[in-house]
Amino acid sequence: MAGALYTPPLKLTLTLRGRDLVLLSFLKLGDLQLSFLLNGCKPKCVKQLRSYEACIKRIQGDESGHKHCTGQYFDYWSCVDKCVAPSLFLKLK
Amino acid sequence: MAGGLIHQVLRRKLQSQSAVQALSCFTSRKANDDAGSAGMRTVALLGAGATGLLGFATVASADEAEHGLGVPNYPWPHQGILSSYDHASIRRGHQVYQQVCASCHSMSLISYRDLVGVAYTEEETKAMAAEIEVVDGPNDEGEMFTRPGKLSDRFPQPYSNEQAARFANGGAYPPDLSLITKARHNGQNYVFALLTGYRDPPAGVTIREGLHYNPYFPGGAIAMPKMLIDGAVEYEDGTPATEAQMGKDVVTFLSWAAEPEMEERKLMGFKWIFVLSLALLQAGYYRRLRWSVLKSRKLVLDVVN
Repeated sequence: MAGALYTPPLKLTLTLRGRDLVLLSFLKLGDLQLSFLLNGCKPKCVKQLRSYEACIKRIQGDESGHKHCTGQYFDYWSCVDKCVAPSLFLKLK
Repeated sequence: MAGGLIHQVLRRKLQSQSAVQALSCFTSRKANDDAGSAGMRTVALLGAGATGLLGFATVASADEAEHGLGVPNYPWPHQGILSSYDHASIRRGHQVYQQVCASCHSMSLISYRDLVGVAYTEEETKAMAAEIEVVDGPNDEGEMFTRPGKLSDRFPQPYSNEQAARFANGGAYPPDLSLITKARHNGQNYVFALLTGYRDPPAGVTIREGLHYNPYFPGGAIAMPKMLIDGAVEYEDGTPATEAQMGKDVVTFLSWAAEPEMEERKLMGFKWIFVLSLALLQAGYYRRLRWSVLKSRKLVLDVVN
């Protein structure tokens, strides 16, 4: 495959418990947005996150492969994005 | 009579919600008294059928993933009515393009000379151009030859043609990036969100081997892997090269590449909108001045009985 992939030289380590681990399941460590998410935006999007978790529980036993939680996932990430977007660039040069 | 009934049926078809009830009471009302009640019933059935089809048409489209996750609006420093590009950011973004993206994505409409005065000095650009090999010719002997690049040369292409590009990337063609921020809806925000938006797929969604999940990409499965990884590039000016920083810089660079005239255009636009507003005020005054004669007329209608 063309294009070089760089491995990050340093990884952030954070002690996280319980529900934070759910967030981590779809985040990569070292991401600048991570600090925003965990500190500022998670409380604002709890409703969507709970809805997503409930969906995961609902489809857990599904064998058909047709059930998915894209809707709740999109709702959650749409909320997070709206929260992160205005302030992200202030942290960048 | 028949025309009036058809008109009623057509009107009812347009009201998708109440159509079925309306047709049923319509049928019960008319079916009993008319001799042609069988004909009325078929008309009503046709109406019900058409309503059913129309009802299907208003049902929401199949999958949100089809359109991709909605992109947020980032506060680009160059987005104001009189804001220029952050040229330091363009310079960093070009570095990111060259080191991370240029191995797969061409930018065949940009020449090295375009960078002079925007991101680099002439000497720096000449040195950068001289690093590449360009096929030129034919020479006096009729042979093609290679020479070091000049300012007038376009950015080098990673693949010789589309087929080679597809073959090297599992059938997917890495698009040319010269105009990408104009070629995608809400391009600047979309490209930034795409580059920084690689995440694990939602529960229940599996992506086949060779593709990667990105919620912003229509359909969700993109051939490009996540390329912006912290520390991938070492910036000349010492800025920490985080994923978001590289994303911002490369999108600023791509925005400049697609719209190099932006700064001049904004200045011109501001100047000419101001001038034309004054001209509008002048024209408005002059029009009213000339029309005042007619508008202050008095017309007397003298009716002779």
